[in-house]
Amino acid sequence: MMKDNIIHAMDRDGVTVARIRAEAILNEDQVQAFGQALLALADVPGRRVILNFLGVHHLSSLALGELIRLHKRLAESGGELCLADIDPRIWEIFAITRLDRLFRIFDREEEAVAVLLGEGRAET
Amino acid sequence: MAQSPADTRDSAGWTEEVLPTRLTAIRESERKVLARLAALGYGEDHCFAVRLAFEEALINAMKHGNRMDPSRQVRLAYRVSPERVEIYVADEGAGFRPDCVPDPTVDENLQRPCGRGVMLMRSYMDEVNYSANGTEVRMVKYRANPVRGFPKSGRRC
Repeated sequence: MMKDNIIHAMDRDGVTVARIRAEAILNEDQVQAFGQALLALADVPGRRVILNFLGVHHLSSLALGELIRLHKRLAESGGELCLADIDPRIWEIFAITRLDRLFRIFDREEEAVAVLLGEGRAET
Repeated sequence: MAQSPADTRDSAGWTEEVLPTRLTAIRESERKVLARLAALGYGEDHCFAVRLAFEEALINAMKHGNRMDPSRQVRLAYRVSPERVEIYVADEGAGFRPDCVPDPTVDENLQRPCGRGVMLMRSYMDEVNYSANGTEVRMVKYRANPVRGFPKSGRRC
């Protein structure tokens, strides 16, 4: 049986919006699926990705590791990873680990899309 | 009704389990601990904190302690009372010095994908104490103490 993808990605005028479809990214199965889905997002060099956390209520340090890997891969190819719609409890995990300094975090997906599209236009 | 394994507590209220070094083995134990919290009416905030710390402690024991060696085991003990949650995890690895784990929050370590588990355990539990050789950890969360990052909602898990 084919597993549902843990991430649903769509293109919005050159910006990839990826919505996480899981309540928790804690244990090995969940983190492995998450890591593989993130890796696929880095397939396109220079991709700008907004990862939407709406509905995610649990996250472990293993999942943070996968996010860092994607951030590095995208940055190396001239792309960028932004995060949006983060539950306040999950946001606290980013704050505790100071990863709020590493990732560009927006309150809402729409805000992130508007900013990235605006930056894209400014660069052309 | 048959007694579930979750009810095999000793006279002091401790439940002891021996887990194989397999990350998928964590889930069933976690489910039992959280069921115990729910039965005692613990709030969503405490369930969040205990779940996170529990995962991190067992992942550390299996990955970094036992180095995923299937011939090694992890000993787990937990006790949930109306006042506090106590968790004890022991691995069969070489041990480590928790104070020597590089600070993941400094700039040079910020992009390292590992090394945040102990920090999260310390942030969400009230007490986190390692044995001298680092192969055993005991964690406590008191019901009376708030969990960081949570508004006082009073919702139950």
